[in-house]
Amino acid sequence: MSEEQLPGEEPKKNEQEGDFSSETTPESTNLPAEETVVPVEATSNTSQATGFPPSNGGFPPPPNNGGGFTPNNGGFGGMQQTLPNATIVLVLGILSILTCCCYGIIGLILGIVALVLSKKDRELYATNIGAYTESSFKNLNAGRVCAIIGLILNILYLLLCIVLVAMFGFAALSDQDAMREALQNMQ
Amino acid sequence: MKLKLFLILSVFLTEGKGFIHWLEHNLLTCPFKSYTGLDCPGCGIQRSFVALMKGDLVSSFKLYPATIPILGLLLFAVAHLKFDFKNGAFFIKMLYIGVTLIIVINYIFKIFTNQLI
Repeated sequence: MSEEQLPGEEPKKNEQEGDFSSETTPESTNLPAEETVVPVEATSNTSQATGFPPSNGGFPPPPNNGGGFTPNNGGFGGMQQTLPNATIVLVLGILSILTCCCYGIIGLILGIVALVLSKKDRELYATNIGAYTESSFKNLNAGRVCAIIGLILNILYLLLCIVLVAMFGFAALSDQDAMREALQNMQ
Repeated sequence: MKLKLFLILSVFLTEGKGFIHWLEHNLLTCPFKSYTGLDCPGCGIQRSFVALMKGDLVSSFKLYPATIPILGLLLFAVAHLKFDFKNGAFFIKMLYIGVTLIIVINYIFKIFTNQLI
């Protein structure tokens, strides 16, 4: 579902950017004048009304930027941020397969954490598309795919462990000679 | 400063015999293997890495075929996060799928040729 939605969103984004750039060009011409006014008047009111990015620069949490932030980005360009969790998701997704020892539990945890983080970031990206860079979104998706693959493999391995225990029992598994005999009887 | 400390520590740890020698004699045991005596999907990667460090590509590949792609994947991922290549995310995805395929095929191959014990 989500994969199908994404291509549909991109043209929208382009349309929005096109609209906003045409709308915001007068704004952007007005902005320098407002900026000069800022020190004279009450700073907080004007900065919230215009949503001018440099004034928001001191507040990294994304909810502050929501809504009023996107229209301006069409006019300014180059003010895009990277998604906050993109790098972490990519790293966790890659690491989730490398820790396939330890009965698949560590990889399972890493994969689930990566998926949860990526879900949050995808929602962030969907709420205001223009505010985040395209490359970080690609990184996020690559990390998400890696995490899903790692998660599947780890679950398979965990199931294999459980099946082994169910077939032979703990006692036979911890005794290597008994294990060998049991395997030879199978063949 | 940190580099100097690391060098001194490494000389201490390796007793002057080199890092690879130290690595070879301090391999971590796989919990699955030590408990059951069977190989897990990742078994052999450390021996393979040591062989690679010695420059023995063939025995590295025989011990664990996925070592070289995994190292390539890690290096490429670090480089991509630093320099932000154009199609880097796509290549990481493809490399990752390749690595998983190699690991799974290797393990299935091991099961059917009875190399697990």
